[in-house]
Amino acid sequence: MARIIVVTSGKGGVGKTTTSASFASGLALAGHRTVVIDFDVGLRNLDLIMGCERRVVYDFVNVIQGEATLNQALIKDKNCENLSVLAASQTRDKEALNKDGVERVLKELAEMGFEYIVCDSPAGIETGALMAMHFADEALVVTNPEVSSVRDSDRILGMLSSKTRRAIEGKEPIKEHLLITRYNPNRVDQGQMLSLEDIQDILRIPLIGVVPESETVLQASNQGMPAVHLKGTDVSEAYKDVVDRFLGNDKPMRFVDPQKQGFLKRLFGSR
Amino acid sequence: MTVALAGRAPATFEIKSANLPLVALLLKSADLRGLAGELQARYGELPEFFDHDPLVIDLAPLPGDAEVDFAALVKLLRNHRVIPVAVRGGSPAQQAAAREAGLALAEEAQPLRPTPVPVREQPVEAPAAAAPLGALLIDKPLRSGQQVYARGRDLVVMAMVNPGAEVIADGSIHVYAPLRGKAIAGARGNTEARILTLCLEPELISIAGVYRTSDAALPPEVLGKPTQVRLEGGVEGRLVMEPLELAPAPARGKP
Repeated sequence: MARIIVVTSGKGGVGKTTTSASFASGLALAGHRTVVIDFDVGLRNLDLIMGCERRVVYDFVNVIQGEATLNQALIKDKNCENLSVLAASQTRDKEALNKDGVERVLKELAEMGFEYIVCDSPAGIETGALMAMHFADEALVVTNPEVSSVRDSDRILGMLSSKTRRAIEGKEPIKEHLLITRYNPNRVDQGQMLSLEDIQDILRIPLIGVVPESETVLQASNQGMPAVHLKGTDVSEAYKDVVDRFLGNDKPMRFVDPQKQGFLKRLFGSR
Repeated sequence: MTVALAGRAPATFEIKSANLPLVALLLKSADLRGLAGELQARYGELPEFFDHDPLVIDLAPLPGDAEVDFAALVKLLRNHRVIPVAVRGGSPAQQAAAREAGLALAEEAQPLRPTPVPVREQPVEAPAAAAPLGALLIDKPLRSGQQVYARGRDLVVMAMVNPGAEVIADGSIHVYAPLRGKAIAGARGNTEARILTLCLEPELISIAGVYRTSDAALPPEVLGKPTQVRLEGGVEGRLVMEPLELAPAPARGKP
């Protein structure tokens, strides 16, 4: 049975799409057949981050409305053979998504043999976000270490436990994972950011990983390459850890302790 | 030229279908004086039991030839803070009279049947009278955007109430975890209601409409501590916050 994972946050700009791209790529690199779907109809970005924007012919909405088959719309990722991308439509809006259509597409993907279906949720709590989370088995809740992001994540967690299919049908609840992105332990130390403990005190769900604040992410998205592929960078390592933990392997948390800056570095700045 | 005007929606309104939960009154007699007396006896001491709830009058238990003075019945019910909107059942003559009094016919309005209780092997002793409504108990954390209202009763929350969540009760509110959202006790004016929590860090606390926000920091002896909040001096009074003295468990083995 395919597992459906929604990457969600409530707030915009916290790293949902970056996470969806790297997480799905990581699962594929680990040998699992994976598909990642962009639910951000009207503001599609995932194809840019995945670097496949020029190969989008048919999209998710076309498939839902029966104008194209899944095989026509699925784009094979250029970096991993096991990964496919289903892009969102740029010309429609979220109302083009409906529960029956989304369910049909997810079912068809499962029948095609995909093991993991990663749903990249749009920001907000409206139709698009509700559709992305509705059929999920697990959720990655992406949170930045600041109060507004934490509160929005809290709201999304409330919706995951009340508005999704598992909640409505009274099944086993969605498995929730907290992913903290843009974390900078030095700035936490200086009191500029919320600490891991502060965030967990409010959200109280298991932590699956911490992705450090880094310029690599910007670089990766401009190159159209998921950050997990930029070998040797903190961000790539952090996402690999996240995938490992998701697949059930125990990994110690990294990138959570402040680093002492050397004398020269302090003298010449950290850049 | 495109002809796209046909489907244009009007700017000032939109018709949509909607459902409404109703209270049903099963009318067993057309004797309004008797009804008034019994209503007074049952709800007279609870003037706020109903909160202008919409109501459907079920005429089914009434004899077909009984003549009901609907105008007087509506007035009587409105005095008890319910708003009759429709009737169901009854004879054609009764329905015509109801319509005359401005009530709709609602044959689809079905009273809720309690779900059948699984049969137990041991006969259970039936409660002598309807048990009083206990506190509303919430086990799950209340997250930002979630709201719980314990109508006409107390509220007990066993998990945290996060910033952006709201807990409201007509009675008292107990939170056995951090209280970080809004807590509104005595929502319909009960000045005796209290708020109790193991960790007071609220956005707002209110009892019977007297409120305090956390804009001005709470006193350090209660902030983040087990606390009781009560109202002193009625609706013109002030909120008093006292640290909760959790008494140690009595030593065992004493005679």
